[in-house]
Amino acid sequence: MVRTIKTLLALAALAFTFGTSVYAQDSMKHEDKAKTLETGSFHGKVHSTSGRATIYQETDGKLVLRLTNFKTSNGPDVHVILIAAKDADDNANFLKSSTERVELGSLKGNEGDQNYDIPSGTDLSKFQTVSIYCERFNANFGAAPLEKF
Amino acid sequence: MNAHVGSWLSGRKWILVAVGLPILVSAWWAFRPEKLWTNQKVSEPSPFASSTDPQPLDTGRLEGKAHQTSGRATIYRTPDRKQYLRLTDFSTSNGPDVHVVLAPSDDKNLSQEIVTGLDSIELGSLKGNQGDQNYDLPASVDLQKYNAAVIYCERFHAVFGVARLEQF
Repeated sequence: MVRTIKTLLALAALAFTFGTSVYAQDSMKHEDKAKTLETGSFHGKVHSTSGRATIYQETDGKLVLRLTNFKTSNGPDVHVILIAAKDADDNANFLKSSTERVELGSLKGNEGDQNYDIPSGTDLSKFQTVSIYCERFNANFGAAPLEKF
Repeated sequence: MNAHVGSWLSGRKWILVAVGLPILVSAWWAFRPEKLWTNQKVSEPSPFASSTDPQPLDTGRLEGKAHQTSGRATIYRTPDRKQYLRLTDFSTSNGPDVHVVLAPSDDKNLSQEIVTGLDSIELGSLKGNQGDQNYDLPASVDLQKYNAAVIYCERFHAVFGVARLEQF
């Protein structure tokens, strides 16, 4: 009897140690046309920058960065770039440091929703942050660290 | 004498203009001061917008509290105005009587692991401690107020994980 109890206790302990996992797999409630890969919020106090940056992948594999609810200060020669960093401080200077970057184009507007094509072959596991970057003064207006959606 | 002074002055003015104007122009080009007062607003449509797809409203990453919890919580709205919470990339520890609830993110209880009384909206029992899962929201939830998704163990009043939701 004692032995049975011991065995049962041991089994219970084993079950507790290894734990059990319940895996759920609900699908999206629609057929996915384009996948949302990553998203993040902008921060930037010196040139107050806010909004969201999201990277989508179309069914043909093309990557697009979309800015939504976006607002930054207007300025000369402002660009949208991806940088090989986890995040960027206000006014971080990328030209003096050797931060690798991918150019996505001139900022289309300092307010509103906008899309930018990402060159094919861009390694998103390396380029993890979107930066609104003033080329003329090498100033980071705002940055959005991206996380998996 | 007068004529001489006049021509000397006008010569100097000419130099001032010749030197000053390019400086002014290049200073304007470099700083574009008028941009301080002007805005350039764009409104491009989403390249994938489809009125038949659920639209993400709010999203946030889950942070572990009493137990290691990770993943993303996103609230979607379907075209017929129904709302649901979707967990993706999700993992927490298994436990007894674990629920998914919405709570105000500024609730002081959420900074603790064990809570005394959480002002919350029940979304249902946790379907699985791993994997993608959807939870329907009751109609007319105030998402401005209840802006955090919480993985909550009712039995021990333990907050497994919290996701503070921000506008998508």
